[in-house]
Amino acid sequence: MKLSTRMVVVLTSIGLLSGSFLATVGHLTKERIALNKQREIEEAIIQVVPGTVSSQKLYEERDLAVYGGKNEEGNLIGFAIHASGIGFQDKITLMLGTNTSLERTNRLAILDQKETPGLGAKITDRDSFLKYWENRDCGGTISLRKPAVSAAEELLPSEINAITGATISSEAVLSIVNNSLEHARRLIKEGKLSSEAQDVN
Amino acid sequence: MSTKTAGQEFIKGLWDENPVFRQLLGLCPTLAVTGAVINGLAMGLATTFVLIFSSLVVSSIKKLIPSQVRIASYIVIIATFVTVADRFLAAFFPPISKSLGPYVPLIVVNCIILGRQEAYSSKNKMGRSLMDALGMSAGFVLALLILSAIREILGAGTFFGYQVMGAWFKPWIIMILPPGAFITLGILLALALQIERRTKSRK
Repeated sequence: MKLSTRMVVVLTSIGLLSGSFLATVGHLTKERIALNKQREIEEAIIQVVPGTVSSQKLYEERDLAVYGGKNEEGNLIGFAIHASGIGFQDKITLMLGTNTSLERTNRLAILDQKETPGLGAKITDRDSFLKYWENRDCGGTISLRKPAVSAAEELLPSEINAITGATISSEAVLSIVNNSLEHARRLIKEGKLSSEAQDVN
Repeated sequence: MSTKTAGQEFIKGLWDENPVFRQLLGLCPTLAVTGAVINGLAMGLATTFVLIFSSLVVSSIKKLIPSQVRIASYIVIIATFVTVADRFLAAFFPPISKSLGPYVPLIVVNCIILGRQEAYSSKNKMGRSLMDALGMSAGFVLALLILSAIREILGAGTFFGYQVMGAWFKPWIIMILPPGAFITLGILLALALQIERRTKSRK
């Protein structure tokens, strides 16, 4: 066989063999990977909307999804807003639980972040950051209290303590939350988001 | 052809030709993922898997591959096993897959793997290539474990996620940040050189 033909034949067959092998592997793992992602989201919804027994996706677009948490009777008890935005180093993805009128926060959970360990990464820590997001007034814009106050009672109902030494990460989370809340309210006004599931396509 | 016994082919990877400490190969994952022992171990095992299977495949079909397209062929073979490792971690160990992020797909360009194909598997039989791959992987895992243990203990006060330092210990955050990786690797390389010199002068 001529060298050039042999080169083509060998590379093509290696490519074909590896391609078909990978297709099999991809097929075998696809379902499980999708299931893992779904489970992660479901766990986060239960965490941020306490009392949720079942959840439902109500709206979805790039960087924003809204889920409805329902109790045993099937009534909507809160929204879980899944949103992401730019942090200090990379994308931050979070899940914010609110009441059904989007006026009060339940809890906040950070799902994905690559902030500086020991500083910005404290946004995942309950005592330094997440606890301030519980039960806040989010009818308007939430703002950051800087420097942070030690007594949580001193904070206004719509204020969050910033993390000392990690203002950028705190502000990043704040802006993701504020933007997504505003977005969700606009969606409700436009009738694209309601407590009942609808076809978003 | 190598004149070493199969056992020696394995042992050389642990120290004499340790990929990280002696050959300075695969430093990107070595520096990037050793902030926690669990990540270092997972990275080491994923690389082990890719190296072993790539070496086996390459040594078994080495005579079929024309030398002009050998690098391209090795890369396709390596990339195949890397993708398998990546999918496997994403399916069965999602937290690890998440914390290793892009570094699993990046095993494709890990010089240890391509280097062993070019330097060893393409010239030796399957059995010997397997011993070589096992030795090199063990050396790599060992290096990652040492580095990540030092960084995790000093940088977070934990080992494998378990608290090992007392409450008095204030974690040195720099150790889990990139500079900590360079500092630790530098000190370890200096130590490795020193040990090497001592053993040589004794001979």
